[in-house]
Amino acid sequence: MVIAERLQVLDPTVQAIPEDAVVARRPDTLDGKVIGLLANGKINSEEILALTQEVLADRYEFAGVVARNKRNASRPCPEHIIDELVERCDVVITSSGD
Amino acid sequence: MSTQPLTSELFEFDSATDVIEHYFRAGWTDGLPVVPPTPERVGEFLDYVGRSPSEILGTEPTKGRVITVEKVAINAVMAGCLPEYFPVALAAIEALCEPQFNLHAITVSTMGAAVLAVVNGPIANDLAMNSSVSVFGPGHRANATIGRAIRLVIINVTGALPGVLDKATLGHPGKYTWCIAEGEDVSPWEPMHVERGMAEGSSAITLFAGLSATQVSNHTGNYPEAILTSFRDAMFSAGYGQGEVVVVLCPEHVGYLGGAGWSKADVKGFLHENAQRRIAEWVSAGHMSPDGADLEAMLATAQSADSITVLVAGGFAGAFSQVIPLWGGGSNSQSVCKEIRN
Repeated sequence: MVIAERLQVLDPTVQAIPEDAVVARRPDTLDGKVIGLLANGKINSEEILALTQEVLADRYEFAGVVARNKRNASRPCPEHIIDELVERCDVVITSSGD
Repeated sequence: MSTQPLTSELFEFDSATDVIEHYFRAGWTDGLPVVPPTPERVGEFLDYVGRSPSEILGTEPTKGRVITVEKVAINAVMAGCLPEYFPVALAAIEALCEPQFNLHAITVSTMGAAVLAVVNGPIANDLAMNSSVSVFGPGHRANATIGRAIRLVIINVTGALPGVLDKATLGHPGKYTWCIAEGEDVSPWEPMHVERGMAEGSSAITLFAGLSATQVSNHTGNYPEAILTSFRDAMFSAGYGQGEVVVVLCPEHVGYLGGAGWSKADVKGFLHENAQRRIAEWVSAGHMSPDGADLEAMLATAQSADSITVLVAGGFAGAFSQVIPLWGGGSNSQSVCKEIRN
């Protein structure tokens, strides 16, 4: 009896390169923290951040709020906005409007 | 078989049918059956181009994917390409990876762009690519499988799986395949790739992040102004301030334009000037908010005459052309032209 040879085929996919990144330490409270709000530039992206801020402000006393809009949803956030948020804020909330 | 070492994982099956069904289940297809990518067949593709399987063609940085010649070969085999198509597929993937093409965004966006590939130069004839009758339709292997290879690379290598990362609202039939050759033999003008700086006699592929095309029908006009005025409404569907918009002229239309002595620049200039309307009309069509707008000012579809790409394709019978808007206002993804090394 002849045993048919098995068919060998190749994997067409690629796995993502893992990055050495860890989740940032979460603050215990938002009291006394500077909150960053980063809108993605789409319709309603600022509105939902404003509502989020309002809800959180009922529960916490922020030390400050830095609101920015990256303006172009189709492109990465400009470096200078990222740098400013990193420097000034303890926590940043982003939104994706539409 | 190629002596070049392959690094992709090997799987074994009892039959080609088992391979096809496994690749469906794994999500490694566009929904159609694939050709089993055996090491022997992939080796033939690599030998044809004489390039190392480990050579990196580019990266998709957002998803952290490195695209090698080997992975493109595997997907080109699956798409049904022949080895002689492989140089075109490789040039296409090199174009895909150029940062200005914005690969991640165009493949995952709700706007649902597909990749339109246009081949210029002698290789189009060598591969019997279609630039004529039913140019965007089925039946031509090189057109069908080169375009499909691009999509399989997007799915399998960059990971833009439909419904998972590809969140297009409507999608696009060109996401199966959308590859043509320009009808250089019927064009009165220089080929598109030469206009973009490639040498005459060279071969090249140009990629566009294309949205749904609008067909322009005009069987009554027989002079340039009469023909080109009917592109106005189709161009409006693209929106205003477009950084790039593609116009595909059929042989009958282009025959009247060339016959009247119009250059490609004349055509672009007329289309730009003609496809303008009051901001109030853009507002009423839902393209923009009236807040702070000067409603009586005029605003054009294209940013400038040079924002309009004109190419020639299609069959001789019928006066049907096309306007193809591009993703992201034609600015957030820019078309890329790459030479095909054969």
